[in-house]
Amino acid sequence: MDLSPRPPDQPDETSRGSSSGARARRRWLPVIILSLLGVGGIVIVTQFLTSAIDYYCNVDEIGVREGCETTSRLRVQGTVEQNSLKKTETKTRFVMTFNDKSIDVVYSGDPGGVFQECIAVVAHGRMVEGVFESNRIEVKHSNEYVEKNTERFEASGSAACSLAQG
Amino acid sequence: MKDAGFIFGSYLVTLGSMVVFALVTLRRGRKSSGGVSDSDKTWL
Amino acid sequence: MSQLVTSTSATGTRATRVLGLLAILVMLWVVIGGLVFTPQDVVQGESVRIMYVHVPSAWIAYLAFILTAVASASWLIGKKHSMGFDRFAGASAEVGVMFMAITLVTGSLWGRLTWGEFWQWDPRLTTTAFLFVTYLGYLAVRRLEGSAEQRARRSAIIALLAVLEIPLVHFSVVIWRSLHQGATVLNPSGDVKLDDLMLFTLFSGVVGFTLVFFWLVLHRQRTMLLLDVVNRRGLDTAIANRRAEGSTN
Repeated sequence: MDLSPRPPDQPDETSRGSSSGARARRRWLPVIILSLLGVGGIVIVTQFLTSAIDYYCNVDEIGVREGCETTSRLRVQGTVEQNSLKKTETKTRFVMTFNDKSIDVVYSGDPGGVFQECIAVVAHGRMVEGVFESNRIEVKHSNEYVEKNTERFEASGSAACSLAQG
Repeated sequence: MKDAGFIFGSYLVTLGSMVVFALVTLRRGRKSSGGVSDSDKTWL
Repeated sequence: MSQLVTSTSATGTRATRVLGLLAILVMLWVVIGGLVFTPQDVVQGESVRIMYVHVPSAWIAYLAFILTAVASASWLIGKKHSMGFDRFAGASAEVGVMFMAITLVTGSLWGRLTWGEFWQWDPRLTTTAFLFVTYLGYLAVRRLEGSAEQRARRSAIIALLAVLEIPLVHFSVVIWRSLHQGATVLNPSGDVKLDDLMLFTLFSGVVGFTLVFFWLVLHRQRTMLLLDVVNRRGLDTAIANRRAEGSTN
């Protein structure tokens, strides 16, 4: 086996052809993977995180804060006011409050799940003639966890209201 | 139990992942330990 | 799982068997306590039971990625560049990715029950998904061809960059308005709003998941060492064969 150094114009047999190509691929592979990761990260941050930063407008910011214009589709956060919830077969109506400001909300359907009075929700929709017409409601749960107490629960009617009242 | 499918599903995914990971790791260890002498197994 | 403890494994020792047994016992309580003994939440009802697996898996994923960064820094800074640090970093990241995947799946199931949606691109969920993808990338880079030292250097640099995402994920619910609830235990005010048995079961979950984590990492890094030895032997044999070929020509 000849291990003596060769001039640059006389490359070793093993470094020719496919093996040199493979070596070049190996050298560039980390760069390609990191670039792809970087591009993936930028896409997530610019396409999804931007729209996600400040996921919602509060009720008192509608028409006031930038990005909360009444002409565009909004995500609005507030608390379902006690004794305001009215359900029909096709619609759910309630008043949503935040910082002493309220709006009437009409939702097409029944939100279901843990939706109830006194709970914080994020409603997706548009302002139409002073009423917020929503087609999607997400319940925003607090970071408080309390054992379900049947007596207290029955007396109040809404668990979230009983929790809010202490 | 209400929403049992979601709740049991969560526990199943959690425990299942741990068990599968553990089994795969042990199997790989057994497979590759055959040709390795005890002196290389620093934990022994 | 008891089979894992009693069977004779190539990477097991008395210590790992004790660790495994402890992990099984604590996890048994987490499952029974979480599904049977803990009360329902006044608002969320039964769905709160998902918390006992979702929250610990998220915390242990953070722990795993932080340990990956610590081990990576130790490899980079250490004069000997001990490959033990690199193997620990890799093993910890693999287990961390598994816990992060569990976090995403269980969180998605819990979200469907509370928010009414499996997924929303809100700040916490988006940053968590980003963290998960980053560590998948880290694991992919570890599998690239090259010497053990090249692998260690590349992945150590990525690990030190990737760990910076953890504060972003954890504080995303504080920095931005998020659909995801704020931290209950690790919150800035330090006021924990969780009933006693719920808190105890959650704490047990953290202990149990930590034991499982170390059990898995110990076995995984030993397996990595075995594979490194096998690969090195293979390389040595190939070089010897090549030399033998050369000497006969």
